Amino acid sequence: MLARRLLCSAVFAVSVLAGVPAQARDLMVVGFGGGFQDNARKHLFQGYARSAGVAVKDDVYNGEMARIAAMVKARDVTWDVVMVEAPELVRGCEDGTFEKLDWSVIDRAKFVPGGTLACGAGAVGWGVTLFYDQKRIANGPKSYAELWDTAKFPGKRSFRFTPKTTLEIALMADGVAFQDVYKVLATRAGQDRAFAALDRIKGDIVWWRSGAQPLQFVASGEVAYAVGFVGRTARAAGEGAAYPLLWPTLLYSFDYWAVVKGSPNTAEAMRMINFMTEPAPLLALAQDWAVSPATKAVADDAGVRARNPGMVSNHAEEGLSINTEFWVEFGDDLEKRFAAWAAR
Amino acid sequence: MAPALILVVLALVVPLLVAFATAVRDPELREAMPVTAGLLREWDGRGLPPEPLFEAAARELRAAEGAQALGALSRRLNFERSGMRGMLLRTARAEMAAPYSMALPALDARWGEVATWTMLRRAALGVTPLYLLRAVDLDVAADGSVVAQPEEEAVFLRLFGRTMAIALQVTVVTLLVAYPAAYTMARLSPGWARLATVLVLVPFWVSILVRTTAWFILLQREGPVNAALLAMGVLDHPMQLIFTRFAVVLAMVHVLLPFAILPMVGVMKRIDPRLGRAAASLGATKWQHFRRVYFPLSLPGVGAGGLIVFMLAVGFYITPALVGGNSDQMVSAFIADYTTSTLNWGMAGALALLLLVLTGLVVGLVLLLVPRLRRRMA
Repeated sequence: MLARRLLCSAVFAVSVLAGVPAQARDLMVVGFGGGFQDNARKHLFQGYARSAGVAVKDDVYNGEMARIAAMVKARDVTWDVVMVEAPELVRGCEDGTFEKLDWSVIDRAKFVPGGTLACGAGAVGWGVTLFYDQKRIANGPKSYAELWDTAKFPGKRSFRFTPKTTLEIALMADGVAFQDVYKVLATRAGQDRAFAALDRIKGDIVWWRSGAQPLQFVASGEVAYAVGFVGRTARAAGEGAAYPLLWPTLLYSFDYWAVVKGSPNTAEAMRMINFMTEPAPLLALAQDWAVSPATKAVADDAGVRARNPGMVSNHAEEGLSINTEFWVEFGDDLEKRFAAWAAR
Repeated sequence: MAPALILVVLALVVPLLVAFATAVRDPELREAMPVTAGLLREWDGRGLPPEPLFEAAARELRAAEGAQALGALSRRLNFERSGMRGMLLRTARAEMAAPYSMALPALDARWGEVATWTMLRRAALGVTPLYLLRAVDLDVAADGSVVAQPEEEAVFLRLFGRTMAIALQVTVVTLLVAYPAAYTMARLSPGWARLATVLVLVPFWVSILVRTTAWFILLQREGPVNAALLAMGVLDHPMQLIFTRFAVVLAMVHVLLPFAILPMVGVMKRIDPRLGRAAASLGATKWQHFRRVYFPLSLPGVGAGGLIVFMLAVGFYITPALVGGNSDQMVSAFIADYTTSTLNWGMAGALALLLLVLTGLVVGLVLLLVPRLRRRMA
């Protein structure tokens, strides 16, 4: 009797450990959080859950590819759809971290130019701009060149702790024109120039790692100037903060929806991505949150554009488009050098 | 004895071996291009390799790209030599025809360099000293000899020095604060002692992140500390407290205090109070009694507390990242960055191994010195 009970529980334990219920978990979407995700949850994630009759959960990360690579390697994929920045998407596609998208399920024709890659479907445009608190500083810097003038504009400056965007900003501060930034940054001399420019203000730099930090730093007065995500800055400005949106300091790119390789819900994930890039749910989302979708019909919608002056795609001509090919090719080298430079 | 041995093996030997294995493993080329790797190992390494090797490389690169398997290899080779990623991708995507020993160099001149092929040959061996060398700011040159890293990429020796310095600073300050606290606690009546223990333990149960964030709020420019100093007229401008070494040491000491106080109290409680009366009856002053009798007897507690604090401090990175400046980041921050964002587990393993060895050396030194110190003082 006892032996049989032991055997039963052993069989049960083995079947649990073997991961039998892998199919049973909910569809998991992971993004960068913030106001966008709060609104996307309502219109995109739960919108799909309602229309397809499946349960959808969502979670937040800071873009760490290692977490995804590790779950792919361990064949224990707990995330299905992930929001990814462009260079990481391309690298993850080469690595086999993301599935190649199924364009028979996702309609490729609906995207703006550059809105699709082998492993990703354009989700939303994002950008960073310089901002500061006009209640503390009435007349702050209007350009990156002025931001580098620490005599005229004293105080700490906060940038994202990545070479991407920081090196472009350093070159623009050093007098390189928008259209020449990547040409210069592709040369050793240009990279030296960018780091030399950063060296000049290094003592005044405070790095941020998650999107909420630059707003906290500026709101608490800890940092005088920060380069932060436009969506969050615009939202704070809309809620009463005196933050100017300096469009000439814009650097922008797209985030993409991708499917984690080996996801047990691959087919469902593809259908979900198609739903999340359809005009109807995106138009509903745009009512609540200033988005810059990569879906052409929504990006060009006159009503959406007029309602959302903070839309990145309204200001594409004023800003610098972050060059994905450049960061795919030079990202590894510049990340290494950036980390070494930052640590000394 | 056996349980202790198992614990040592599980907690020390296994992590050491895993760190070492991760640091020297070099599987990327073998996995992505098995035929090329085999041919590379057979090749004598002199001059340019024969045509079959060129052909295998071209074919396997193309296949690897199609199978989404090129990423790890291009990251590995690009880590050894800048620009390799671009070369591999261009080659994998190019349309080529035999003879490949002509086609590859025509596509990218580096395929015509002996140094490229000898580097590939080293990468085909399955083990590499590269990560361990980079962890001490050395590099493998094109001819396979060991050279120093260029100045702008040499960072780790400085980082290890800084990590040890911060950990020592934190240990010393923690012990100085903890000793009088423990001394007092050891002499309290049982009821008060229980209360004191709870007071020491309460912050211990609060998450490190919360405590560090609390320091951030206290120390910021417009925070209460600066406001109080300004109001008292001590300062006329807010002082830079956050993003400094001072903030890092302060926050770490706060987090680590219980680890020093509790072992000290344990040892001090076991010191026989009759020894004090005996010393007094023999004519010793209070100070002489403390210095010659009490302090040497309490040293094992100080040593244990100090060791625990030091070993924990060496591994900190969240606190320096939140309240420290650029020049206060410690080795663990790089280990975390290599594992979570740049996916360079070889480098993470090499740094972890070195950190473990360095910490082990310091701990060994202390274990050797404390008994001697105790004998000399008594």
